[in-house]
Amino acid sequence: MHHSHIDRFAQGDSLLHRLDARAKLLAVLAYTVVLISFDRYAVAAMAPMAVAPLAWLWLSGVPVRFALRRVLLLSPFILTLALASPLYDRSVHAAALGPWQVELTGGWLTAMNVAIKFALGVLALTAMICTTAFSSLLEALDRLKAPRLLVMQLGLLYRYLFELIDRAMRVRRARDFRGGGRAPAGRRLRAVGGIVGSLLAQTLEKSQRVELAMASRGYRGQSHGLRQLRAGWADAALLAAMAGYLLLCRWVMPAMLGGRESA
Amino acid sequence: MTCLLAMHMADQLLSLPVAGVAWLAAMAAVAAASRLSRRQGPEKLPLMGVMGAFVFAAQMVNFTLPLMPGTSGHLGGAVLLAVLLGPWAGIVTMAGILIVQCLLFQDGGLLALGCNILNMGVAPCLLGYAVYRAVLGRTASAARQYLGAWLACVIGVAAGAAMVPLESAVSGVLRIAAGDFLAVMVGVHLLIGTVEGLITFAVLAYLRQVHPQWVGASTGGQPVRLSKPAVAASLVVVALLLAGVVSWFASAHPDGLEWSYQEHPYAGADKPVAPPSPAVAAVEAFQARYSPMPDYGRREAPLGRLPRQQAAPDSSAKPRATTVVNGWGSLAGLVGTAVTLGLLYAVSVMIRRPRRAVRDASRGA
Repeated sequence: MHHSHIDRFAQGDSLLHRLDARAKLLAVLAYTVVLISFDRYAVAAMAPMAVAPLAWLWLSGVPVRFALRRVLLLSPFILTLALASPLYDRSVHAAALGPWQVELTGGWLTAMNVAIKFALGVLALTAMICTTAFSSLLEALDRLKAPRLLVMQLGLLYRYLFELIDRAMRVRRARDFRGGGRAPAGRRLRAVGGIVGSLLAQTLEKSQRVELAMASRGYRGQSHGLRQLRAGWADAALLAAMAGYLLLCRWVMPAMLGGRESA
Repeated sequence: MTCLLAMHMADQLLSLPVAGVAWLAAMAAVAAASRLSRRQGPEKLPLMGVMGAFVFAAQMVNFTLPLMPGTSGHLGGAVLLAVLLGPWAGIVTMAGILIVQCLLFQDGGLLALGCNILNMGVAPCLLGYAVYRAVLGRTASAARQYLGAWLACVIGVAAGAAMVPLESAVSGVLRIAAGDFLAVMVGVHLLIGTVEGLITFAVLAYLRQVHPQWVGASTGGQPVRLSKPAVAASLVVVALLLAGVVSWFASAHPDGLEWSYQEHPYAGADKPVAPPSPAVAAVEAFQARYSPMPDYGRREAPLGRLPRQQAAPDSSAKPRATTVVNGWGSLAGLVGTAVTLGLLYAVSVMIRRPRRAVRDASRGA
């Protein structure tokens, strides 16, 4: 496993990759807020909202299939909840799509609504993260006044994440090859305790070495990083475009199309 | 192979006000926790960062459950972090883990991040640590340590999970009966917490044998001294939780009797409750006139004037099968606590700043 396993698209180069991470973070946040603000029975009215994440993915050259796979991977919990709602909300609503009219219970409308919101939200977040290197995201968080300690901690977490995951996977594979799955429960629990405990011991030793290395390079509680983010015209254009787009999707188009009746 | 994962709150279950309040509360909690943990010295930062990565790695090591083939559990990490690093550093580390899970792995959304930090970071760390210390007492006995860690996991994880249905009920997006949702979430998370407790217990047992200094130094040897702001902050968090839970119940089930009366209106029969005496009626009218949040809800009429009578429901309208859950009551509770929290935090910053300037100056000299 390698850093590039998660980050392989973030290292690419496109117009969207080159934008300021702050602008991208704010744009996705605004998108999510507007997405969530749709009425719980809105289904068809949310269709225009699919434009932005897909356009983002296309323009930056990130494969849409990759993003869709992430949506599927994350969906079980939210789908369980969404599919529970028809059991509770049995109010009848007329849904109309063009000339066709159906009577649906509110629960089914909510289930579809939640599933669509989930898919679009995950797509937008994936699009953002796949076009932004984690280091510039951290700088963005720092410049947006997130607590310093948290930002530095995130940086260290990201730095050692894959190293430790790699080690844990190796140990786990070794255990499984030695038939660890068929032992009685008590012994398996002890094995898990030993594996995690020794991993923890290694981690603590590593943190002491890291601390020593940082102290010898002059670390005294403050981190000093390169400041690479420059907000420019392109970033303002992204934010303006996103604002206009969201305004159009959420307020202008429903008002023009007659609003609530079109489900 | 199903994996027992602690469930992240999703954006789609939240309304914007709830998400916003939870974000503010989580930001205040993380800011306060990072301030408090920073006091323990800069050498703790590398430990926190690497420990965050460790929790991710430890989640890869699964434990197949004995009675349920095909189901496996793993470490969640909040309680172990709180035990090893102390509750404040534990909260900051958990917040970092949840942010990475949100950004890199898209688990739990941007807006739900506040709720997730409260549910899976702040609640298990503080509550779990409190339970652990309470069980441990002043002793360093192994049995108490194991029991404390296990109980801390069960209680901390289940309490955090219990907040998910509450938050989604207050949001009112999904119309799942909150009681059913609560029962399912708490039931599943009691199991998750039990498994996590067993693993935490096994890890502590290993560490006691192999590296006793790490477990002993941060737990049994020297009791962690709780400073006054720490106690105040944890009280505020508990108040926040209570305000959310209690006021939600206050608004959803106004009163057992009242509720059962609404369920079975005795048509034509006498009311089971006697009409209020003139004194009670006067007090109620006074309260309705001058309390800013009558019945824990938003005030519709300006202060000093009686609220208008609710318009009679339009009987010609198509009857709806469901009733709308009134989320205003618990929102009022949450907002009130969040405001208090903000004020307290501002005060604590103002109090601490001069002292720290003095300390820095003396260190510089």
